[in-house]
Amino acid sequence: MSSREDILQSIRRNTQVRYEKPDLSELEKEAVVYPDKVKQFCDIMKLTGGRAVVVESGDDVNEIIRRQYPEARRIASNLMSIVCLGKEQKLACAAFHPDDVANPGDLDGTDLAIVAGRVGVCENGAVWVQQDVEQRAVYFISEALVLVLDRRNLVNNMHEAYKRIDTGEYGYGVFISGPSKTADIEQALVMGAHGARDVTVLLV
Amino acid sequence: MSTKHSRNAEKFLKDKEQVRWHDQTLWMVRAKRDNMSRQLPEWERLRDMACAIKMYSNSHLDLLLQEFEKNAQANGAHVYWAKDADEYCSIVYNILRAHSVKHFIKSKSMLAEECGLNEFLEEKGVEVVESDLGERILQLMHKKPSHIVMPAIHIKKEEIGELFVKEMGTEPGNNDQTYLTHAARKNLRRKFIEAEAAMTGANFAVASTGECVVCTNEGNADMGTSQPKIQITAFGMEKIVPDRESLGVFTRLLARSGTGQPITTYTSHYRKPRTGGELHIIIVDNGRSRILADKEHVKTLNCLRCGACMNTCPVYRRSGGYSYTYFIPGPIGINLGMLKAPLHYFDNVSACSLCYSCQNVCPAKVDLADQIYRWRQKLDGLSVASSSKKVMSGGMKALMEHPHLFNLALRNASVVNGLPQWMVYNGLNDWGKEHDMPQFAKESFNEMWKKNKIK
Ligand code: SF4
Repeated sequence: MSSREDILQSIRRNTQVRYEKPDLSELEKEAVVYPDKVKQFCDIMKLTGGRAVVVESGDDVNEIIRRQYPEARRIASNLMSIVCLGKEQKLACAAFHPDDVANPGDLDGTDLAIVAGRVGVCENGAVWVQQDVEQRAVYFISEALVLVLDRRNLVNNMHEAYKRIDTGEYGYGVFISGPSKTADIEQALVMGAHGARDVTVLLV
Repeated sequence: MSTKHSRNAEKFLKDKEQVRWHDQTLWMVRAKRDNMSRQLPEWERLRDMACAIKMYSNSHLDLLLQEFEKNAQANGAHVYWAKDADEYCSIVYNILRAHSVKHFIKSKSMLAEECGLNEFLEEKGVEVVESDLGERILQLMHKKPSHIVMPAIHIKKEEIGELFVKEMGTEPGNNDQTYLTHAARKNLRRKFIEAEAAMTGANFAVASTGECVVCTNEGNADMGTSQPKIQITAFGMEKIVPDRESLGVFTRLLARSGTGQPITTYTSHYRKPRTGGELHIIIVDNGRSRILADKEHVKTLNCLRCGACMNTCPVYRRSGGYSYTYFIPGPIGINLGMLKAPLHYFDNVSACSLCYSCQNVCPAKVDLADQIYRWRQKLDGLSVASSSKKVMSGGMKALMEHPHLFNLALRNASVVNGLPQWMVYNGLNDWGKEHDMPQFAKESFNEMWKKNKIK
């Protein structure tokens, strides 16, 4: 008999009481909500070690990004333009498309990646990134990360977020909440363990 | 009077400064967890729901695992079933061999630790590189983790500085944490890029989508799996959850409870293999299905491996992870060890003051202290209980029924005689002072006991 059958049989033999699936609707109803989502999101981003920048009408996104990352030269993005408050702005600061490289390892040395976030969660600063390039390495290997997020896609909590996310055709997605970090050496918090050392969420 | 735990603890206690640091640091993490929980009015309902989802999923494993398998296969993944540690190790090795993998990068997995995967593979000539910083440090030092979430919590930065001079060419005497972390970042970058296969564990496996969810702060799971074409993901079968709605509950609890963060930096959802790549998923039993039959201990399968019960445990904080003989320390480790091999791991059962703090912080409501109490009762039947342990169990039982007597009673000779010396002399009896929530159960122990039995 296969291990699969063995295991399933052992589970059936040993399972005692079958408990019912709980109804989460009460919890979802009473879960935390924020009167000013943009403000809450900006506050919580600081706690994650990153930042949120609210783009106002008349702001130039390229300028905001350059001001934030003046040293960045190798800038990767798959976005041609960014729609800010209903107006489309061409993304001029990116140098190359992440899928232009032959191997994901070639993305090492990328100073900055500018990618789209789909949903932002106000309780924890997590931004849902649904893979939309061949090489998802770009989300992690770049030294810094800009996540472009429509402020109308801010939700209060993870319950709301999970109703809105999708893993798309690539079958991959990730919540990113601030920069990569570790406290593995004597519990001292250090940014930039393996992933981006610095994260900015652009709320457009 | 001494158990293996108390003898090991004596070693740890020799460095008083280190003990104080260990104790206070973990207590700080616990305080951060409290702070997080207080910001959510629905905190207790979240815990209730987490527990209820786990009770549901662990009592429907046969159905949910098959649903997971069907969906994972439809997503293009290969699914394997491993009865025990040997089978799990062999499956991993066979995948690696079929692709002639020489360089293999791993992100932290307690399951791999449980099954001795690294040793197995290294014997076969596969170079295994741990990518979580703490795990990497331990691997280079040939040491084992002493905490499930903060594996290198017992190592001083000076030791790491010295190690990195040898292993990563850092400058001697520079023990700055940022400097050392970034040296490891650079060093491991090459390893990520050179690897031919990457492996992760899973925090959650979602039946309705066939996806595996991995939570990290460092981003090492994603650095690994976004480079080579071969991805292996293995999980103990109790990691199954029914659907994404359940993830909403668990992702809110996990990091808040474990490290006092609102969520881990990365919560990654792996559903399909990468274009041109392969995704291999291994479902592991290794004794878990047997636990299902044990009504008194089945709730250990609720565990999310968040580490909160360790951070809060006064015995763990003051004796360190190496004092326990099972590879998972602290309250959950005491119980998992007993389920694995009681005659081998019974020493750990003494490493508990029955303060119930663990049970009060556990996000999935594992009845940790109740279970330890039950094991103490059962030790008689296993005929390993020394007379001192009987005194201790008996005394603790009486105290649980009259919690207000607890502090007083710690000074009572008959109970103190039953406690290991290191516990008495190391301020354990003072732990109540700094707790804002030692929270002796509101109901008496007997009431809880009865309720649990009726359930
Ligand atoms: S038993 Fe509870 S508190 Fe302990 S590690 Fe598991 S989930 Fe966390």
